[in-house]
Amino acid sequence: MMKCVACSGLFSSILAAALAMSSAAFAADLVIAMPNWPSGQATANILKVSIAKEFGLNADVQELGTLLAFNGMEKGTVDIQPEVWQPNLEDVIKTFVTEKGAVVLAKHGVPAWQGICATPAAAEKGLKSIADLSDPEKTKILDTDGDGKGELWLGAPTWASTGIERVRANTYGYAKNLTLVESEEEVAMAGLDIAIATNQPLVFACYAPHFIFDLHRIVRLTEPPHDASKWKLVGPSDPLWVTKSSASTAWDTANFRIGYGAAFAKKRPEIAAFLEKVDLTPEEATAMSYALEVDRIPPLDYAKKWVADNAKRVDGWAKQ
Amino acid sequence: MTARCKFPVKRKEAIRPRKLTLALLAAAACLGPLAAWAQTQIYDSKTHTWVDYDKKKARQYYARNNQPPEAFRMQTVTFRTAEPPGTIIIDGNQHFLYLTQPGGQAIRYGIGVGREGFGWAGIVRVGRTAEWPTWTPPAEMVARDPNAAKWAAGMPGGPENPLGARALYLYEGDQDTIYRIHGTAEPWTIGLDVSSGCIRMNNNDIVDLASRIKIGAKVIVLMQGAALYKGV
Repeated sequence: MMKCVACSGLFSSILAAALAMSSAAFAADLVIAMPNWPSGQATANILKVSIAKEFGLNADVQELGTLLAFNGMEKGTVDIQPEVWQPNLEDVIKTFVTEKGAVVLAKHGVPAWQGICATPAAAEKGLKSIADLSDPEKTKILDTDGDGKGELWLGAPTWASTGIERVRANTYGYAKNLTLVESEEEVAMAGLDIAIATNQPLVFACYAPHFIFDLHRIVRLTEPPHDASKWKLVGPSDPLWVTKSSASTAWDTANFRIGYGAAFAKKRPEIAAFLEKVDLTPEEATAMSYALEVDRIPPLDYAKKWVADNAKRVDGWAKQ
Repeated sequence: MTARCKFPVKRKEAIRPRKLTLALLAAAACLGPLAAWAQTQIYDSKTHTWVDYDKKKARQYYARNNQPPEAFRMQTVTFRTAEPPGTIIIDGNQHFLYLTQPGGQAIRYGIGVGREGFGWAGIVRVGRTAEWPTWTPPAEMVARDPNAAKWAAGMPGGPENPLGARALYLYEGDQDTIYRIHGTAEPWTIGLDVSSGCIRMNNNDIVDLASRIKIGAKVIVLMQGAALYKGV
């Protein structure tokens, strides 16, 4: 999934990644970094197939973490990163885009969303807004361990968004009456599958684009609209940042964009112009996520069919 | 249980302490039945009400029917998931184990779990399986239970063995977690929280499950007892 918000894993082993650059990479005309979440994997391969179709160039797709991809784009060993998330990667963007000028972000952004979701059973029993979560009488139906308090999944332990969800739980107040749980996303999603299958109430942190919106009928809890003045986040370098921070409104709208190396843009301006025209939608990103995760279609197979089905649109991206 | 009874089992909304640590649970894994906690409820199709399903009722039901209530019998259910077919998902809270199948379905089995649930949540895999496995009681159990002490060197597999007809050994990477999914010599305990640690199934069900899974199968244990969540 997209939540590369967690960039802790991405900082490891730059050397290993450099060694992993296969000889095939050097034989290729360009290198596209592939993230480990499905819409990013699909997009990386859609770009590969499209570039081959329109420009006759051979792109090598390599699975790389976002920070490694940014380092690669600065050094010239990587040319394209298909999904750069904002505001989740603001620090990385500040370094490589704003300060160093080594990476360019395409203008088109795919809007994304983060918040709290509920199963239909939870919504039907009164959990419809974020304010409902602070009512212990309403949230006791979320109890799965018999202690009288409901549980709420905040996210995976490595995601930066998980800490921010904890800040939101503290600020809104539902941290007092809910047990806040962290686990791998696969465990949480399997729990959601079972809650849907057995019509149990469940509330959890969620984000879109994500295949669960196609897999299950789930409800987004309503919240006060984002107000930047009500988000006071202390940097995570402070060990007490969660307790020192506050956030009492919805998340700001997120988006993700294609990133490419500035040096690559000079060498291949026609490809850079092409990347600026790629206009994927949130619905398409969700469909990609569903196709790869639920239907288990290999990313390259999905990309070949997608490009064939969208041939005119891809041709339009390549027109100068 | 009638076919229209769509949601036939739930947990009673009662408060009970959950104070055992993961370490204690690990030390006491697979002890066998100790005591029952009246937390499970089943749907009575005659009275159209939810009724407690405790140790006493379970014994009575099994004596009358020679099988657990319908909710805890093996059955194919609608189950939409992103997990590939062949994945095991354990819901200790509702006492179900799902084996995902193609086409948006799963085979659902009834299970018995520990008094404190499974004690952890996370993702493991089936490292190996065994037919009519030998049961070796932990040292702590040998020290306090004379019945267990006589099997300190290992109880041979058989109908009286608490591990039952098959055992699936759960591994994290190449390491045995000491947790198992296994059969039982006390089939009436399915649907209850009566032992410590492991997942129990009726012998027919564990034989069926073991015949369907592949070594290396992914096992997802849900966050029952979230306060105990530590990962594996």
